[in-house]
Amino acid sequence: MMILLKVWSFYLRIAVKFPVLKTIVPFIPLIIAWSLVTELQVFPRAFLPGPMDVISAFGTLTYKGVLTQYLEDSVVRLAVGAAVGVALGIPLGILVGLSDRVRQWVWPILLFFQAIGDIAWLPILLVWFGFSLTTITLVIVYTVLFPIVLNTSLGVRSVSVDLHRAALSLGASKLRVVWEVVLPGALPNIMTGLRNGLGYGWRALIATEIIVGTSGIGFMMFDARRAGSVVEILLGMVVLGTLWYVVDSWVLAPIERATGKRWGLVTQ
Amino acid sequence: MGPGYAMNNLTIQNLSKTYFDPYAGSNVTAVHDISLKVAQGEFISIVGPSGCGKTTLLNMIAGFLPISGGSITIDDKPIKGPGPDRGVVFQTFALFPWKTVIDNVGFGPRMRGLPKKECDQIALEFLSLVGLEHVAEKYPNELSGGMQQRVGVVRALANNPDVLLMDEPFASVDAQTRMTLQEELTKIWQERRPTILFITHDVAESVFLADRVVVLSKGRVLEDMPVHLQRPRIWENLMEDGTFKALSSQVLSKVRSA
Repeated sequence: MMILLKVWSFYLRIAVKFPVLKTIVPFIPLIIAWSLVTELQVFPRAFLPGPMDVISAFGTLTYKGVLTQYLEDSVVRLAVGAAVGVALGIPLGILVGLSDRVRQWVWPILLFFQAIGDIAWLPILLVWFGFSLTTITLVIVYTVLFPIVLNTSLGVRSVSVDLHRAALSLGASKLRVVWEVVLPGALPNIMTGLRNGLGYGWRALIATEIIVGTSGIGFMMFDARRAGSVVEILLGMVVLGTLWYVVDSWVLAPIERATGKRWGLVTQ
Repeated sequence: MGPGYAMNNLTIQNLSKTYFDPYAGSNVTAVHDISLKVAQGEFISIVGPSGCGKTTLLNMIAGFLPISGGSITIDDKPIKGPGPDRGVVFQTFALFPWKTVIDNVGFGPRMRGLPKKECDQIALEFLSLVGLEHVAEKYPNELSGGMQQRVGVVRALANNPDVLLMDEPFASVDAQTRMTLQEELTKIWQERRPTILFITHDVAESVFLADRVVVLSKGRVLEDMPVHLQRPRIWENLMEDGTFKALSSQVLSKVRSA
């Protein structure tokens, strides 16, 4: 018991120095369990390869350049789709949030189209644009757009009326109020929208790549199924999870720390 | 005398406010018929029980609410929506959480189109009025309530408004801080002589601060009395002062009869 406590306190101390440990250590029991299951041959090796097999597949595919190329394709598609989605979604969200008239007109339409999920658009997009990059990008934009519009408009409406009034009585024009008050005030909600949007977009991308598939992580996984290479399917899954963690902790979380949390708009 | 000190008056004439209450399904009159003249450099308190229309009155002067009847003029010009000629200090402070203290105070000057450097200079000058230069780079949520409202007051002053409108600004800080803020406000007023219209439900506060106390009741002026007390006003001196006590009880009986 004492030894366990000592190990725990040692881990806590060292984790302060090397925060990356806090990310890696929780996975250790999971990986050990996975190794045990594969080593004990609970399932045939061809159905469930072990962690070492996945790592060596990672090595081979990276060496061949396939993995890096596919990864780049997927990430660029998501980034382009997300950028377009953000560029359209934030202004639309602000309009819907600020103007009752716009909201009355747009809200039912938004809800209607939100219900037609991303993948449900694929058949008609394939008819119109074929198995092309346009099809993939449109699906991503579509997926990213709704969470951003809905959350942005929610954020806009949550900005206190006193802040609007303060800015106006200090001489700000209405346009200036949007820039100085509405946008920063809505930022925590916009980030939530972006987080959801990217999450949904990432899933939609994989699904679209499986269907439209010429390259990308989704294509790699589906292609591996055809070739009967379970190890590559697992590798794809590991890559997906890792990549999302990286996006979250290197892009989204730092923005949130520097804005909403710093300003006291959101608590831990 | 600077440009902010030109002769001007806030004149309110037969002002009324009626709005439709969708829950009651009928019209409600918050302000019946208020006429009031505020001289340049005057410090006037408006006191009354909740629901007497004092906040509605302030919101109309600030231009946040349209008026239903009568007129509000500054320098004989009718007011039109919110504007930098009327500075507002809010009960909720209403500081921009995403701006540092110095950027909050410099916001008004920046909206006037002054270069950033000059805005910072003005902001620091006004922050020194309340001894807060040292928190210039902090965000509002890092300050205590009392400090936040000091920032709120100098942010409104930094714009050199013709009238400073204060809506129960000290209602949400603790009692000791409130007394300090009240003394500081009278000190600033003596130094710079802005026209101040101060809304409160606290009778002692209304008498302590102002030259003139207006008691509102049910959307009408019930009483308008001058306050002849020495300045500077300090709580330790006034608390036992006969005139202060007499005035306070006079105002209190009016408010309670309201």
